[in-house]
Amino acid sequence: MDTLRLLGAITALEPRAKQKENTDRAAVEVPVDAFYSLMGRLKSDPQLAFDMLYTHTAVDWSAKGEGPGEFELVYQLYSMTHGHYLLVSARIPRDNPVAPTVSPIWKIAEWQEREVYDMFGVLYENHRDLRRLFLEDGWNGFPLRKDYKDEFMLERPE
Amino acid sequence: MSVHVSTLEERIRLQRTDGSPLATQEYFVNMGPQHPSTHGVLRLVLRLDGETVREVIPVLGYIHRGIEKMGERLGYRQFVHLSDRLDYLSALSNNWAISMAVEKAAKIELNDRIQVIRTIVAELQRIQSHQLWWGVFGMDLGAFTPFLYGFRDREIITDIFEETMGSRLTMNYIQPGGLMFDIHPNFVKRTKDFLTYFKPKLVEYETLLSENVIMQERLRGVGKVDAEAAVSLGCTGPVLRASGVAHDLRKLEPYGVYDKVQFDVAIGRTGDCWDRYWVRLEEMRQSMAIIEQLIDNIPEGKHMVMKPAAKIKLPEGSTYTHLETARGILGVYIVSDGSEEPYRIHLRTPNFNNLWMITEAAKNWRLGDLVAVLSSLDIVVPDIDR
Amino acid sequence: MGMITEKLPGYIEPVPGGSVLLTSMDKLINWSRSNSLWPLTFGTSCCAIEIMMASGAARHDLARFGAEVTRPSPRQADLLVVAGTIVKRMAPRLRTLYEQMGEPRYVMATGSCAISGGPFIYNSYSTIRGADEILPVDVYVPGCPPRPEAFFYGILTLQKMIKLGETIRKPGVRKKPVLAALPPGVTLDQIQKEMAALLEKDAVINLDEANRLREEWANIKMAGNEGA
Repeated sequence: MDTLRLLGAITALEPRAKQKENTDRAAVEVPVDAFYSLMGRLKSDPQLAFDMLYTHTAVDWSAKGEGPGEFELVYQLYSMTHGHYLLVSARIPRDNPVAPTVSPIWKIAEWQEREVYDMFGVLYENHRDLRRLFLEDGWNGFPLRKDYKDEFMLERPE
Repeated sequence: MSVHVSTLEERIRLQRTDGSPLATQEYFVNMGPQHPSTHGVLRLVLRLDGETVREVIPVLGYIHRGIEKMGERLGYRQFVHLSDRLDYLSALSNNWAISMAVEKAAKIELNDRIQVIRTIVAELQRIQSHQLWWGVFGMDLGAFTPFLYGFRDREIITDIFEETMGSRLTMNYIQPGGLMFDIHPNFVKRTKDFLTYFKPKLVEYETLLSENVIMQERLRGVGKVDAEAAVSLGCTGPVLRASGVAHDLRKLEPYGVYDKVQFDVAIGRTGDCWDRYWVRLEEMRQSMAIIEQLIDNIPEGKHMVMKPAAKIKLPEGSTYTHLETARGILGVYIVSDGSEEPYRIHLRTPNFNNLWMITEAAKNWRLGDLVAVLSSLDIVVPDIDR
Repeated sequence: MGMITEKLPGYIEPVPGGSVLLTSMDKLINWSRSNSLWPLTFGTSCCAIEIMMASGAARHDLARFGAEVTRPSPRQADLLVVAGTIVKRMAPRLRTLYEQMGEPRYVMATGSCAISGGPFIYNSYSTIRGADEILPVDVYVPGCPPRPEAFFYGILTLQKMIKLGETIRKPGVRKKPVLAALPPGVTLDQIQKEMAALLEKDAVINLDEANRLREEWANIKMAGNEGA
């Protein structure tokens, strides 16, 4: 399915989904409370059939703009049967980063969400086993946030 | 007069006065970060019932260097140097992924010579990576000879690379905008000599390892993963193709000059260890076929279309680009704010998804089979931890 | 017998009925220790392929130096080759491995990640800048990754150090090699200025001189090269 029809089908499923600007593939942005049901329908709908979650990551937008900023959760989906791609993103507030887990839908999301928790501090509801993936359990802070301070890090001298 | 033949269990039961059968207990064993067959620093916590593996819990982070955070303070050409060190056995494909992402976003047009050389070099790298995998696979199952054979043949490709690129392992050769150096005048001849040398060697590999009855017993039917589980776990590359899913980015979304060459893609049937083994051997043959078609007709042209010292500014927005390395799909997701450094760069590495297949594939197999399954997944751990 | 007796440390005294070897026990023990080092299989990242695997394979053969017996257990090994980046999470495990090895034990830091943190030195929150932050290192082998031949040079240097008895030293004392080897009265600053001047001199090419030399060499006829 090409981009226009894909976006049309998705806005038919979920009217609050908006198209994202400045991307190279089809991308939609969804508010976080409509998020989980949309993901379930993206996988089960036979026209869309997004059965592979390529990657899930987050972007910290707090360095741009004022206020506490937002995290943008990004999911890159792919359909084996139809061969189309979709990027789904949802914004959550930075000082209360809670999001629903999609691990019942795609198995790999369990560990990709652990990685996002480890790096950004996003808390996933109903996650089976939410703990840090790469860093030790007692590590202080979330490294990929833009305001992460660490005396151990060495800055490059100019 | 008949003789009563007893069994051990009966014997033990006779000793116990309360008549209860022998009780067993599950226990946890740590296959620690330093271990000869974990292919890097991977820690597996195993829940064992006797010798049967009931659960595998991978623990990661022993080589987590923070490459994504470092990428936010580096230019794109500098990041290519770091991308070598992710999956160092297919370093050129990693370089190509980053370069392709930058070129697509900045709309840089390349000429044919660059694309053809990139394809040839990436296929040579695929053969080299599978040669090492084959050697280490044999070594993990207890045979030392495949290790020596694999490395002996791998050194020939390493020599070809060293003459052109200057380095044996982490080459930093494919840059955004072209190649670092032009190929050496000996490149074509040495590659052709390698192809004539290696074809009978693959037959030797088959006779040595594939037709061995111990290998067949240890690999057939072990560690089956069906197509649906593989797709749900996001596995790509030979691991996915062995489970019967026909998904190869070189055919579906051709990059380089893959749309101009004829080759087949090896697909397995059951998704057991034998299929994963066989798919990789077949991929070596197909890679040799690709190189044969390209090596005599490298077009003329410049090796770099952009000035080497240019700082690259990507337009604002996000891009996702991916290609097929020796182990699976490497994807690069770049969010740029218009400056020379990425605002966020995320690497979708193939080994991350392939690793978690061990939690499904090794359930209820024995400890020796766990090593066979882990080795057939072909994991390089720094790729997982980045 | 002649070749072995040439390399044995000591003095051979021929007596009727054979020979007598006079040596000191220390020299003999050090000689045998250095020629059969047993490395521990410890490789974290890219250097492991070149150092551990390619050196042990058929082309660059580690067995000629007596060091091909790599033991997975630290209790049975006496050479710890740190190949690869050391990360904060791995550092306590590495220290445990080192402490489990029995004395005399030697440590070789191969690759720039193990010497100083390598390409991951800036802006990384978890890379340890050099294995000598946690272990006392005897030999440093630079490279990224070092060639197997460079690794062999490191092994030969270590063998020389063992034969001279230099590695039995006070535990816990470690020095970064550049600063340790500075002659008295010389500072790091002076050395850097000298090196900068040298590099500048090398980088400036005198075209007339180069052309003159090229013509001179083109006119030299070497014996046996008449038809070339």
